Amino acid sequence: MAVIRNIHPLDRFLRPERLPHMWCPGCGIGIALSAFLRAVNELEEEGRIDSRKIVFVTGIGCTARASGYVRFDAAHTPHGRAIPYAMGVKLANPDLIPVVFSGDGDIVGIGGNHFIHAARRNMDMLVIMVNNMIYALTGGQVAPTTPEKIYTTTTPWGNPERPFNAVTLAWIAGANYVARWSVTHPELLKNSIKKALLMEGFRFIEVLSICPEVYGRHIGFRSPVELYTHLRKVVKIRGKIRPLETEYDWERGITLGEFVVRDEPGFVRRLMEVVKGGKA
Amino acid sequence: MGEASLGFLNANQAAAEGAITAGLKFFAGYPITPASDLFEYLAKKLPKYGGVVVQSEDEIAAINAIIGASWAGAKAMTATSGPGFSLMAESIGFAAMTETPIVIIQNMRAGPSTGVATATGQGEVMQSRWVSHGHYGIVVLTPFSSQEAYDLTIKAFNIAERLRVPVVVLMDYVLVHTRERVVLKKPPEVEVLERKKPTKPPGEYRPYEPDPEDLVPPMANYGEGYAVLVESMAHDERGYYAPVDDVYERLVKRLVDKIEVNRHMVVESATYHTDDAEVLFVAFGSVARSVMSVVKEARMEGKKYGLFRPISLWPMDEKGLRKAAENAEQVIVVEMNYGQLVREVERIVRDKPVHLVPLLKLDLPTPEEIVEAARRWL
Amino acid sequence: MERLEIMIAGRGGQGILLAGYLLGLTLIKHGYYVVQSESYSAETRGGDSRSELIVLKEQGEADYMRVRRADIAVFMYGEQLRKYSDKVRNDALVIVDSTFIKPEELREGWRSILIPFSRIAEEQAGTIRVANIVMLGALARITGLYTLDELKETIQRNVKPGWIELNLRAAELGYKVAEEHGA
Repeated sequence: MAVIRNIHPLDRFLRPERLPHMWCPGCGIGIALSAFLRAVNELEEEGRIDSRKIVFVTGIGCTARASGYVRFDAAHTPHGRAIPYAMGVKLANPDLIPVVFSGDGDIVGIGGNHFIHAARRNMDMLVIMVNNMIYALTGGQVAPTTPEKIYTTTTPWGNPERPFNAVTLAWIAGANYVARWSVTHPELLKNSIKKALLMEGFRFIEVLSICPEVYGRHIGFRSPVELYTHLRKVVKIRGKIRPLETEYDWERGITLGEFVVRDEPGFVRRLMEVVKGGKA
Repeated sequence: MGEASLGFLNANQAAAEGAITAGLKFFAGYPITPASDLFEYLAKKLPKYGGVVVQSEDEIAAINAIIGASWAGAKAMTATSGPGFSLMAESIGFAAMTETPIVIIQNMRAGPSTGVATATGQGEVMQSRWVSHGHYGIVVLTPFSSQEAYDLTIKAFNIAERLRVPVVVLMDYVLVHTRERVVLKKPPEVEVLERKKPTKPPGEYRPYEPDPEDLVPPMANYGEGYAVLVESMAHDERGYYAPVDDVYERLVKRLVDKIEVNRHMVVESATYHTDDAEVLFVAFGSVARSVMSVVKEARMEGKKYGLFRPISLWPMDEKGLRKAAENAEQVIVVEMNYGQLVREVERIVRDKPVHLVPLLKLDLPTPEEIVEAARRWL
Repeated sequence: MERLEIMIAGRGGQGILLAGYLLGLTLIKHGYYVVQSESYSAETRGGDSRSELIVLKEQGEADYMRVRRADIAVFMYGEQLRKYSDKVRNDALVIVDSTFIKPEELREGWRSILIPFSRIAEEQAGTIRVANIVMLGALARITGLYTLDELKETIQRNVKPGWIELNLRAAELGYKVAEEHGA
């Protein structure tokens, strides 16, 4: 079968020979990935980034499979370990631009400790967390981001846990940049990624996504369009709001926006400064 | 690099010096007894050689950071002890699967679990080989002096870089608390090897396509334009997930076989009075030094004892062991656990009685204690 | 010389570990193969402090890593002498700090040398803290394992700058007093 290459401007960042991808019809991950690729494409066309310096690191989960489809230097690491892996990449070669692109379970569940400490160190990397509020690849178990009372396969009586608001977590741990967007607003997401890619220190963007096959099924929205439309009602874009005032509540609403923009020196710069100026 | 110098170092310091000589550029670690002073030694010294030392939030982060650093082009290492090594288990398999050169210094202490942090042990003979799930290849080297800690750490990097495998340097609590004279050889007096680089352009290069003669794929680093995919799932030569029989079988076999094919650069052992030995002892690490005394003193009394000491524990010098055991009436394995190395010795030496002398002691056994424990066979 | 075992023991704060380290360095410079281990109790002052050295001609003969029965023992304090006498050979050369140890505490059979290292350090070098270096100076003369110059070179290379002069003087004092003792 003949393969037609480069029919799309983003194909140069993809491995088209690997398509079709494994994501379900109606899945939101593709929208998030596309926003990232468009951000890189625009920045490169504007001469502000060299895409060959990007290292695209993922953990395990549906979102994490993206590393297999992109044509960057990449890694598909063990579950939860994308952040420390990216830390090693950055510290060994500070010219590289590590981007962690992974799911909520991977980043704030099994990898939660790495997330906190990378933010605390202001470790130079961009973390994009695609949040579908469920462990989808394994069949619909409760995640640290699953709203209260929701049915999952491991909380068949309803979820008794309180979910993480990853925005406040990232902020309080010390991230330089914290934003939350949704696949319902891909253009805003793309612009946020463009901005964050050029910053130093720890940058965190949460992307609310839709998982019609698993999460949607659990809450009674089997059609992707229905779920997508519902998510549009749940999310609320707010300007000039502080991280502590953001809400993460499936009933009351989930706040979108840019909540932290700081210009504190990243870990690499701090490390170089102490080694150069200090005495050991 | 200059000429060789003399050091008066414990095994931690000697291993750190060996790593620097080998070209270490990235170290990540988490504090643990008895590996912290290696970490502290490097934290002070490595930045002067242009390297980075970082303390991670746990050992899991440390091992993954060094894997990432290795792909970013740095020679990378971590150091730990039993509990930390257990935490690293999953990602040691990740390194094996993705054929990432890394070195892990593992200073054994008394286990299981937290055990006795300030006591010695040899409980990780089997764990060092099979620490991660699945079947893969790994190399484990075991020094018995500060000099060997230095030499074998350099060798560990050479093997890791050239064969694209994780290499464990298995030391113990006694070695890292004993200072000894060390000759710190520098290149060209000592050989330092680098990873093989791609000869094909980015479009044609495949990160897991081996050279047929040594089964090792050349390695492109991040940032060099090859768009390499470091894939933890079962993958083909491109790094693409491929859950199909022939790809899977080819991959797993090669992960193991590439060490077999390159045995000559890995396998190492030492013998002490084995030529005519009627009683052959087998021991490694600091306890082998005690067994040396047993052999030496027995020889003075005219008893024909000998010692075979594996230096590469995995894979072991099987031929060397069989040869050392040739004239022996019995083989006695002395180890500070309840019987691990003995299983491997039994597998290799099939025509002689093989006895186990397990020494579950918290300090280095004296030669007298070893003789006492082995008395029923002597 | 097959294998020579040396033990230095005293109480914490007497600089036992530093003495053992400097002795090891000096012996290495002299061309020996040296194995050194140490043990100490958790408290920095007052507890036990012990340094053990095994001195060999060749590395290849480096077997058991600990002292079994010391050929040469140095005791800087009485408590440790009583505690570790059994780890000393019956015919060992035993050097003690007579500031703190009485002659009747020494075993018969030992070739004993009593020198008041601490008193000499305090009275002639101005501080008791260099008693350990006075001892190393004396040890050079008594054992002949290394020269005073080799010890002084070790001091110059390894002691903190502000302490070098004082330590060099202490080493010389020790060497001289050993000479006067007929060693």
